[in-house]
Formats: sequence, C-alpha cells, structure tokens
Amino acid sequence: MSTLLQVEDLHVWFELPDGGELHAVQGLSLGVGTGERVGLVGESGCGKTTTALAIMGLLPPTASASGRVLLDGKDVLAGGEATIRPRRWVDVAIVFQGAMNALNPVRTVGSQIVEALELHGRARGGAARARAAQLLESVGIPAARAKRYPHELSGGMRQRAAIAMALSCNPRVLIADEPTTALDVMVQAQILELLDALCRDFGLALILVTHDLPVVAQLCDAAAVMYAGEIVERGPVDALYHDPRHPYTRLLFAATADLDGRDAPVVSIPGAPPRLDRELVGCPFSPRCDRRFDPCGTLRPALRALDDGHAAACHLNGVGG
Amino acid sequence: MPHATPETRLALKRQFGLDKSKLTQYGIYLRELAHGNLGVSFENSQPVWSNLRTATLNTLPMVALGTIFAIVIGTLTGVVAAWRRGTFVEGATVSSALAFYSMPTHWLGLMLVILFTGVLPTGGMTNDFLIDPSWWTHLKDVLSHMALPSLTLGLVLYGEYTLIARSAMLETLGEDYVLTARAKGLKPWAIIRRHALPNALLPIVTLVALSLGYIVAGAILIETVFSWPGVGRAVYEAVLQRDYPMLQGAFLLLTISVVVCNLVADLLYFKLDPRITA
Amino acid sequence: MSVVLYEPGVEEAPVRSRRGLVWETIRRRPSATVGAVLLLVIALAAVLAPWIAPYGLHDQVGPVFGRPSRSHPLGLDDGGIDMVTLLMWGARISLVVGFAATAVSILIGGVVGIVSGYFGGWVDTLLMRITDYFLVIPDVPLMIVVAAIWGPSLFHIVIVIGILLWTGTARVIRAQVKSVRERVYVKRARALGAGHARIVLRHVLPQVAPLLIANTVLTVAVAVFDETALSFLGLGDPSRISLGKVIENAFQRAAISSGAWWAIVPPGALVAIVILACSLVGQALEDALNPRLRVAHLGARTFRLRPLVGRGAESV
Repeated sequence: MSTLLQVEDLHVWFELPDGGELHAVQGLSLGVGTGERVGLVGESGCGKTTTALAIMGLLPPTASASGRVLLDGKDVLAGGEATIRPRRWVDVAIVFQGAMNALNPVRTVGSQIVEALELHGRARGGAARARAAQLLESVGIPAARAKRYPHELSGGMRQRAAIAMALSCNPRVLIADEPTTALDVMVQAQILELLDALCRDFGLALILVTHDLPVVAQLCDAAAVMYAGEIVERGPVDALYHDPRHPYTRLLFAATADLDGRDAPVVSIPGAPPRLDRELVGCPFSPRCDRRFDPCGTLRPALRALDDGHAAACHLNGVGG
Repeated sequence: MPHATPETRLALKRQFGLDKSKLTQYGIYLRELAHGNLGVSFENSQPVWSNLRTATLNTLPMVALGTIFAIVIGTLTGVVAAWRRGTFVEGATVSSALAFYSMPTHWLGLMLVILFTGVLPTGGMTNDFLIDPSWWTHLKDVLSHMALPSLTLGLVLYGEYTLIARSAMLETLGEDYVLTARAKGLKPWAIIRRHALPNALLPIVTLVALSLGYIVAGAILIETVFSWPGVGRAVYEAVLQRDYPMLQGAFLLLTISVVVCNLVADLLYFKLDPRITA
Repeated sequence: MSVVLYEPGVEEAPVRSRRGLVWETIRRRPSATVGAVLLLVIALAAVLAPWIAPYGLHDQVGPVFGRPSRSHPLGLDDGGIDMVTLLMWGARISLVVGFAATAVSILIGGVVGIVSGYFGGWVDTLLMRITDYFLVIPDVPLMIVVAAIWGPSLFHIVIVIGILLWTGTARVIRAQVKSVRERVYVKRARALGAGHARIVLRHVLPQVAPLLIANTVLTVAVAVFDETALSFLGLGDPSRISLGKVIENAFQRAAISSGAWWAIVPPGALVAIVILACSLVGQALEDALNPRLRVAHLGARTFRLRPLVGRGAESV
C-alpha cells in the first residue's frame, strides 16, 4: 500500500484584524495510503477544516503556511497555485458540510457537475451531461434532477450531489469535511453508507474530518485526534477506543453517549480549548486534564510512537511525550 | 404676468380654469388625465403632453448614455477592486469612487464645463448656427453636445455603482460555492465569471434600481447646467415661470418612470434568481 | 442609499458592547477618523465664522471676480467679496440646514421605525405602506415642486428636505427594532409588566442608538446635497448665503465665461468634502454594527509560504 498523500509538519497561521496571528495548525503530520480511511477528529476550532483546506491549497489570502504536502511524492504546498491547481479534483477532491452553500444557487446541479467534467477533459457537451446524470444516479439521485437548482433539493440530496460532483473526475483521495453534520439522523446514515460503498467500489482513500466519533468508528480504520491545532493521538480506531493513551481521547469517547444502553454516565469536558493567538506553554490540554502532573505545565509533549501504528502526545506515556 | 390688465388676467384665469375652487381644479385635472390630457402649458400654450414628449426624447439618450457607462465601468471596477482586496488598486478605486460619489452633481458639471470649454460644447443640444445639416453632421453635433452632460451623470453614478459592485462582490467571494469552485480547479477568472458574478449581480441590480430616483434628480441638475432641452430643464423652467401644468405633468412623468424602472428591476431580478418563483 | 464600505483588513471580531461603539469605531477605523476630523474642522470653522473670518461678509474688498492673491487665497466673487469668508459663512448655513433637516427626518423616521418595529401588526403594515409611497416618489422633483409652491425660506427648505428623507431611516430602524424586540431581556421586561414606553426607552432605544447615529450622519450628507441642489435651482432662501447659493450666484453671474473658476470650484469642493466626511463616518459605523465575518475565499493575493518550522522529531 503506497502512500498517496503525506502531510509533514504543517503549520498554518491566520492574520488577525488587530494585528497578531492565530496559529491554527501547529506541526501536523498525516499520511493516507491507497484505499485507507483516516478520520480527523476534534472539537470545532481545533484546526481540522483548516488542515483539509491546506492540503488542497485552498487557504484564504489572509493565511500563511509552512510544511510539506506531498502528493505522489511532490510537494504541492511549496509549489503554490500552479502546482496544485491541475491536481485539484483529479487527484484530491473535497466535499463540504451539507449545511453550507457549497453549490452555486443560480446554476443547475447538473451543469455544475458538467463543469467539473469539462474542465478536466473527461467529457464534453452531450457526453458530459450523460455522465453527470450517471453520476447522480450512482449516488441515488434520479437523473432528472440534474436540471434542478440546488434549492430545489433537500439537504441530503444536495450532499449526495456534492459527492457525485467530487467523484466525477475519479480522484484517488476524497476529503469529506463534516459530511453529515447538519443532516438529520436518518439521512446521516444514508450518506455514510453511500460513502462507505463508494470508497469500497472505487478504491478511494478517505480523509474524514468530523467532530462526530461514531461516524469515524463506523467508516474509518484509523483516526487522528486533534486538539489545539495538533494531533494528540492517532492509531487504529479500535486502539483509540479500547486503549486511549491521551486523556483527551479518553474523555472524547466518554463524552459520546453510548446508545448500547450501558449506564456509563455522559461525561463532558470542563473548560474550553486554549486560545491560539498566543504562544502555548506546556501541554495545550493540561488546564482541562484530569491526569495532569508536573511536566505538563511547562514541557510540551511530542507525538511519540507507542505500539504498532499507535502514537500519542502525552507525558503519561513517558515524559517528553 | 406682470403687466396684464385686470381684464386680461381674468380672461386668462377663466381659460385655464383657475377661477374654480382648488378641489374642482384637481378633479378636472384627474379627469383630463384619465383622457390622456395633461393640460396646456402656461408658457408656450402648447399641450403639456407634446412639450413633455419632445423633452423626454431629448433626455433619454443623454441619461441612457451616462447610466450605461456608469453601470458597465462601475461594475467592472467594483469587481476588480473586490478581487484585488487589500492592494493599492482597491484603495485607489474606492477612494476615487467615494470622491465622485460625494461631488454634487451640478458642481461636477460646472467643473467639467470649466475644464472643457473650447474643447467640447458646453450648452444646448445642437449648434444653432448649422444651417440645414446632413443627418450625419447632425448626429455628430448632438453627440458632441451630449458628451459632457452624459459624462457628468456617468461619473457621479460610477462612484456609487463601483462601491455597490465591490461590496456585493466581496460578499459573494466569501460564499462557500466560491470555495467549491476553487476546489474544483477552476481558474480565478472563470470562478468570477461563472460563479461569483452571476450571484453578485442580484444585489447589484436591486441597488442600481434604487438609485433611479437619484438619476432623475441628477438629470434636472445636469440639464440646468448644460441647458439641455430635456425633462429636467423643463422642470426647472416650469418652476421659474410658475408654469404649473408643465410642472405637474413633468412631475407625474418622472414619478411614473421611477415606478416603471423599479418594476423592470424587480422583473429582472426575478429572471436572474432561480430561487424566486412567481 | 446605503453602500457598504468594507474597510481593508477588517473581517472582524464581533463588537463587544454597544456603549461607546461610536467612539470606538471612530478611533479604530482610519476612514472614520479622517471623516470625523474633517467634519469637526469644518463645523468649527463655520461656527466661529463671525469671529475668525478674514473679511466682512458684505465687504467689497476688490473687483468683481478678483483673482486669487496672497491676501485673498481663493479670490473674490461676483460682488468683490472674499471667497474664504463666503465659504465660512456659507458652510454655516449649509450645515445648519443639513443638521436641521436631518433632525426633522430622524425624528419622523425614528418614531415611525420604532413604532412600526415594536408594535408590528396592522400598525406596522400601515406605516410601511405609507413609507413605501414616500420611498417611490423621486425626492428632488417633489422638493422642487413643494419649495416652488411654498416659497423660499430657510425654514421651508428644512421642512421640505426633512419630509422626504425619513423613509430610509424608518426602514433601517424598524428592522433593528424588530430584532431587538425578540431578545430575551425585552421579553422578560414585558413579562414583568413593564409598560411599552419604559421598554422602548430603556431597552430598545440604547440598542438602536448606534444605528440611528450612523443613519443620521449619512442623512446629513444627503440633506446637505439636497440643499445645494435646491439653491442651485433658485429655490433657496435668497436672504441667506449657503454654499449652494454661492455656487448658484457664480453660475448666474457667468463666472465660467469670465474664467473665474475660483468662484465655483471651492464652494462645491467644500460641499463634496462635507458629504465625503459624513459618508466615511456613517459607513464605518454601519460596518461596525453589521460585521461581515466572512473571509474572502478568493483574491488576487494567495496565502503565503513560510520556511519550515520543525517542531522536533516526528517519531512515528
């Protein structure tokens, strides 16, 4: 299994209106191989969407970044717009949150898929329209809806259409940013099934960005837990659930209500994530951690490998991380 | 009529129906209006209707030229300014737009007169000294006279439209479908042309329509400065000469045209935005 | 006629409190600062005109349309009067008319907006219908007609302008009041039995005040323009010299053909500056009240690259 996409030591800063900077992503490294499914989990504001945008070179003009994003071994971050643009949608595609206005409201759904096809030379004119209809069918939308405008589709259908559009140029990696948030539960399940089937059928690698743990558990083999702009633990989903090596991971799983009916109390994590516009000293989670001890306030733990594929950034595994 | 004898005054009063009560006068006016009769001008004793028709035909090309110039150039510069956010180009564009937007219309007209005296005609619509001109010469003559008045209107409106277009564009550029378009691999100009602009046009159309009332005001001032024989100047002269029928007629005409333009703008919006259904 | 300014670099944190918002905005945003300073300087010069004007308002100090010189930096008008003096006195009247007309307009518009937004229902519908009718009528022609019929006097001009400008204010205030009314503390106050007047005064008004101020400033700009326009068309008060009148005089007395640009350019420029200053302050305030939290996804600049940071060995 070759590594398709490798992110190395990614940092992202945002300019703040009053001067100063927000250090949104702090030294993140992540890899995804053919057919692999990785979840990127964390609370809102932890930097997961920013990471997804950085991978595709979609950061806004007020941002600056450093690090490497290797696509087939080539650094597309340093290469800039000219390097990444031809590879967008063709190698890596992205699906945004369903509640977003991700589809142009004044153009028909079909025409937007056709646009992607024609842009990357997959088809033209009538053939493109046919292919677009086919793609819609494959995600469970009747082909006739291609002539409809986004506001005429339900939230779930819009999300499916976005997925169809994302797959139109046969990418090898699909990034799904909160694909099921803001959809109701029944529809969520359908979308997840759809993603599962599509990834399987097309051998897609998937990066699933979400705050919703059950979704990750259902769809992904491995996951990385983000906090305050960095990955604090990563590994196979089972390992994270049964043997979390970072207090945040443990509390995250505990905070999720268990629908199996066991009476474990729902625990919420007190406090709030740290502000990222100033330099952090020590472990960023320590103010909220129930297991903190001396080194946590002064020494920032590094992400250290533990067992096979499992890594955590916590002094509890050995001081220094 | 300062030197008329009392008898003449009375006769004139009778002729124009001014001896009846105000209410009756208004009633008569409305009745006549329903029949398409706007009354007769005090000044030249011609039907108001035909006076206004000539005036309107004179005003329309001049206003149209200026407005179209402003819409096209203004939208273009507004879009560019939004695109080049945070750069010198944006700052310069906004500053110049604000400057023109703040200038009183008639003053700008006078400034242009000062600048272009001798280069372009600054008064009237035609050169009265041309004897029996050919069609082509006549056209050139009118156009050269139209240049400054239209330019004045165009500049003042350009300021406003640039600011409108820029803010509409900035709003649109923050929308998620723009991010999607970028993620698809589209080039910036294609994104603007196919996704941002069609959406930005919606608020632009609305705001441009709202500015039509201002165009009317501008037209009055500009035609006064440049002695352009249009509706605006007709209003001005009717005021000076207390030519009430003309004044009423012109005012009615102006109000109706603003209403019609707003209607047209609504229809246009209806056509541009698929989210609105009948 | 509201046009959003979008100050460069201000995709901004939400406003912390309404108190002192006006002052804060003026301090923080360069455009607002410039505008406020300009207005202050001009207003000061206008107010102090009787004392600091270099010459008398009616003193002929030179020939008709005298050229600018060291003692008369802006030349003389058609009556041989010093232009700088004229400008200062003219600004007085123009500003007075501007503020007075705005006061009338804000009063009517504010009341209509608050009543409409607060009570809703048929009152709202009725008032909005009336507002719509006024909105559609083109302002300046109506002003011309009314001024022509009523007769020229400062008072009439103020009333005429005020009567036509209130619609914009009414709409904006109504929208704001509607949203404030739905807020928790207002509902609580009502539940506690507070009377309408009390609620309006203590809860609604403070929330609406900054927007009202922004709208006031913008209205002043329009009022000043309208006064200029009316004066130019000969409908201004002939006994008072406003900036508009100065321009009209120059126009009527053929300043242009005499080549006396100094009789026309400065007064209009001063009006333009006043309007510009008002627009800057007003827009900045409106911006501050409706922060656009959106970051542009697209722009000519792209995100910057920085050298590699390296946070210690990645041991996976």
